[in-house]
Amino acid sequence: MVGLYLLTLLAMVTVVFGLPRALPGDPLVALQDRAGSSAISAETTAHLRSYYALDRPLEYQYRHYLSRLGRGDLGWSISRNVRVTRLIGGHLPWTLLLLGTAFTIAAVLSFLTGVAAAWRRGRPLDRALLVAMTGLRALPPYVLAALLLIVLAVLVPAFPLAGARTPFAAYSSPLGVVGDVGGHLVLPATALSLSLLSTKFLIVRNAMISSLGQDYMVLGRAKGLPVRVLKYRHGGRNALLPFVAAMGAEVGFAVGFSIFVESVFAYPGMGALILRGVETRDYPVLEGAFLVLGALVLILNLGAELVMSRLDPRVAGR
Amino acid sequence: MSALSERSGTRLEVADLRVTYPGPPPVRAVDGVSFVAAAGECLGILGESGSGKSTLGRAMLGVVAEGQVEGRVQLGDLDLLQLDERALARVRWRRIALAFQSTAALNPVLRVGLQLSEPAQVHLGLNAPEAEARADALLDNVGLGPWAARRYPSELSGGQRRLVLLAMALVCDPEVLILDEPTAGLDPVTRQRVMALLARLAASGSTTLIIISHDADALEALAQRVLVLYRGWVAEVGPARQVLGDPRSPYAWALLNARPTLASVKDLRGIRGDPPDPTEVTPGCPFFGRCHQGAPELCGGARPPLVQPQGENGRREVACVRGGVMTLLCADELRKSYRGGIVAVDSVSLAVRTGEVLGLVGATGAGKSTLGMLLLRLVEPDGGSVQFDGHDLTAARGSELKAIRGRAQLLFQDPYEALSARLTVAEAVREPLDVQDVGDACARSELVRSTLAACRLPHDDAFLSRHTHQLSGGQLQRVALARALVLDPKLLVADEALAMLDPSEQAKMLQLLKHLQVERGMAMVFISHDLSVVLRIADRVMILDQGRAVEEGPGSRILVDPRHPATRALLAAAGRDLLFPPSGASHPELRARSNADPHPFRQMRSTQT
Amino acid sequence: MTVATAGVARPARSHEFRLPRIGWVGVAILLGFATVALVAPALAPYRVGALSGPPLEGPGSAHLLGTNSVGHDLLSQLLSGVRVAMFGAFVAGTGTALVGGAIGLLAGWWGGIVDLVLMRIADVLLVIPRLPLLIVVITYAGTGRGMVALTIALTFWPEAAKVLRVQVLTLRHRTHVTAAMGFGAGAWHSMRRHVLPEVGLVLVAALVAAAGRAVMLQVGLAFLGLDDANRASWGSVMRGALKFQGLFFTRAWVWWLLPPLVAIGLLLAGLTFVGTAVEEWVNPRLARHSIVGRS
Repeated sequence: MVGLYLLTLLAMVTVVFGLPRALPGDPLVALQDRAGSSAISAETTAHLRSYYALDRPLEYQYRHYLSRLGRGDLGWSISRNVRVTRLIGGHLPWTLLLLGTAFTIAAVLSFLTGVAAAWRRGRPLDRALLVAMTGLRALPPYVLAALLLIVLAVLVPAFPLAGARTPFAAYSSPLGVVGDVGGHLVLPATALSLSLLSTKFLIVRNAMISSLGQDYMVLGRAKGLPVRVLKYRHGGRNALLPFVAAMGAEVGFAVGFSIFVESVFAYPGMGALILRGVETRDYPVLEGAFLVLGALVLILNLGAELVMSRLDPRVAGR
Repeated sequence: MSALSERSGTRLEVADLRVTYPGPPPVRAVDGVSFVAAAGECLGILGESGSGKSTLGRAMLGVVAEGQVEGRVQLGDLDLLQLDERALARVRWRRIALAFQSTAALNPVLRVGLQLSEPAQVHLGLNAPEAEARADALLDNVGLGPWAARRYPSELSGGQRRLVLLAMALVCDPEVLILDEPTAGLDPVTRQRVMALLARLAASGSTTLIIISHDADALEALAQRVLVLYRGWVAEVGPARQVLGDPRSPYAWALLNARPTLASVKDLRGIRGDPPDPTEVTPGCPFFGRCHQGAPELCGGARPPLVQPQGENGRREVACVRGGVMTLLCADELRKSYRGGIVAVDSVSLAVRTGEVLGLVGATGAGKSTLGMLLLRLVEPDGGSVQFDGHDLTAARGSELKAIRGRAQLLFQDPYEALSARLTVAEAVREPLDVQDVGDACARSELVRSTLAACRLPHDDAFLSRHTHQLSGGQLQRVALARALVLDPKLLVADEALAMLDPSEQAKMLQLLKHLQVERGMAMVFISHDLSVVLRIADRVMILDQGRAVEEGPGSRILVDPRHPATRALLAAAGRDLLFPPSGASHPELRARSNADPHPFRQMRSTQT
Repeated sequence: MTVATAGVARPARSHEFRLPRIGWVGVAILLGFATVALVAPALAPYRVGALSGPPLEGPGSAHLLGTNSVGHDLLSQLLSGVRVAMFGAFVAGTGTALVGGAIGLLAGWWGGIVDLVLMRIADVLLVIPRLPLLIVVITYAGTGRGMVALTIALTFWPEAAKVLRVQVLTLRHRTHVTAAMGFGAGAWHSMRRHVLPEVGLVLVAALVAAAGRAVMLQVGLAFLGLDDANRASWGSVMRGALKFQGLFFTRAWVWWLLPPLVAIGLLLAGLTFVGTAVEEWVNPRLARHSIVGRS
């Protein structure tokens, strides 16, 4: 499994390395044209050429590129002339906050609703949840986010329209910071968690339903166990496995979704960084963001894998 | 538990229990089962797979998923099926527990120890360490040891998981314990251990045991009473020794007759036909389609009630409108002497039940053939009487006698003598039909062809028009068989029917006879001097010596534990000493079982008047 | 990696199939969008880029859906968006399903090293955050709608491939396929005669799912600014609206932001309805289980 992640990491790096070079012509020229600015001097071009080792053979370039990455050097932003790592350092925490909050909420909610729906399979609660989740699944995250924005920030101005904190606010206490950040977080986190809810809900529900038909549930009932124990310890515990697996598989999507949600709320996370990168065709920023998000996803996947091996004695035994 | 409590178990009564799984189409898995397990009793429930026995076990705890359960399950003073889920949860496991058969009943992601101890925490109010200690002690008790508590189910072997399920059922020391196939699929050592544990439990009387199993041997060793289940319906119930040793309901008889034992030399045949479609609920007897003595006008109407079998007044009951397997032929004190004072048959009494094969064995001059003729009254007896299918054969006259003759046929040793050389095959086989005046010419010729086909003979016109002297010995004997069977008799007396055949033809004929006997549901008296042949085909064997019946019993018992010198002589002649050295003692377990064998013939005779 | 797999298709007999009613609703919605997409140029009152009126004009007879901050007619932009979205659904969706289907068939049928390599690539793609990848690739490769569709197909094929592969694997080991090979049928014959008819429905389900995802991505990328600047799309309308600082201080959001949201919702609802209906065909119903006892 770790092998797969290393392979994936290598694939991502290679794609980022190869894309500009695979296109016909000089990467720097392409860069110039696309950026639409003619103000790059010959001197700068020469500097960049040697910085990216573009005057050396491809194989050398690749090794050079890998060693740069190994040192944590993601290059320089074209449009803002700062290190990409610095830009990412400013944006990543907000994304982590948003993703972490939304992911946790979605996980808890989807598990509880999934178990509840399966337990009452075919009853009104189950049907209602199924319809709602199917609807949520159909709606793209940016639509959900925009609808939430309209309803809870415009029609009922309960939450701020945009941003992660009030500009130029003077806080009287640390609690004020938390309140302000939290208030700004509510809508984006809600939108993102709603987008992440449905897949996991369906997986938990299906896993729970097949678990309910198993003999160990009949035995549990025969043992006269309280419903709570039966539902969560015996049924839920078994539904936890596919659930955690699904969470791992969904991290990649979650990162993508967060870009959309951030864009709607002008949230200053990685999404905002990518958005500006797209507007200015700032390739190093986009590549850096992609690599950092990729690494994040890989780490979370690895985590899910570890949790699963702890959860399932059969996986651990292999 | 190391110290089983002093209380005695609790009475469990099940009344008219029905379980229906919703369809489509709906399946009636348990179809009106009623029984009582007395306090501290060990009740066995015998059934094949698909008999609804697992569903029955689960229904008693009210844990049939999706199934609709009707009826009454009375535990002490509680009607379990009237309780709501919460109240039921308090009763489950503490008062009535079920040892599951399927090892899928263990939750794969929880440690064994937790799964064992959680009911003790819930029901007995123990804290976690106490409950774990209890679980450890139980694991010890079933022979696993506390190490198993830390394992996940997937880390245990199948047999070990079964032991865990057994320990789990004991954890709250229930008043009633239901065991679903406690011995199935276990290796011999584990099986022995489980049996010993259950025997201890049964002996203590502190727990009412209900053992659901298809393992008749296990039930014979453990249960006091046995209930036989067929298609969710009780076919027979009574003391274990009677039900298992001498089953009287047609189903239990057929089932147990197909049971192999270590000393089985009999060719085992399954019950004829296939189990009925569980989605079709017919009004009549569920076994009717496969029963060898079923009659549409009697059995097709309603579920037969449990009654005492015909001619018995004990605690056993069978669900059969005909009163269980009937006695087809009953001979009482038959005597026959020939001129010169030679006593051929000397006070022989015997009984043959419907569908049964009785082997009559004896050395030359033991009176076998005479007895065979007497049974069909082809020779007039000097004394005694023969009852056949409710008629007194010895007193029958005229048309009554002719009708009886149609239903009891004789197959002779020598087909060359039994079949007139002047007749064609068709004429020979059709003759009984002509005599009994069955159907018109067309029907008769159709019947002749189908009977020949059943006897694995050609039935084209060329063969039909052959004369008997053109046939080989084996073919001729089968033509003789067809002639005997064309009237579809209830009883066939086969007198040394294989003696003239070479070994290959003999083997074929033996299989054919057994096949036709089972499929047609007829009874047979198989007379031979050769024990090795008789043991293959007979359900019960009677040894004749100098005109007297000297020993009788199931073939396996006769083989392993012969009692009369004449029997031993016959066995020695058949080469038994090669199998069992004469000096060696017979297997104790088999001896025990053979001692338990009742002598149905004597019982029958004593009650038959 | 765990991968969601659909159940094995039931043996298919065409007369058994009855599309659930919700499926027909979905089909009607999709047909409606398709018709609008075909006749959109005729319906659109103005050219997409035309400054057709005063900025931020509310809905009226001249501009049924009002204008944006520059004075573009929003109805015309929305109609153009229908074409873009339907193109995305059809081309990118079909492309994804075809690439995925072909790879799944290949991997499932040949197995061995082919299967191993293809599935490893699929696993890598499933782990990678694919939206950022898409963004990087498209910024380099260009934002033409054909290129976007192609990139989507090349990035999002693993889902369809996994489902198809499992189907083919099970089918391949069914007796009648083995039997056909036993009397000398070649791979192509078995595939055409025994495999393709059975997986047809699964492919349709994969296609519908891929179409939905493609619309979501295409509109989303446009929303992020990765679209053809010459064609207005729902995404670009939304981007324009949300970028306009004063959007929520006027009522402009009602005619500017809301219509594309509704349009996306409606199209995706149509696809979901059809998808749900097809799923119901493909997957045998989950066995009915309930352990909730009598109450």
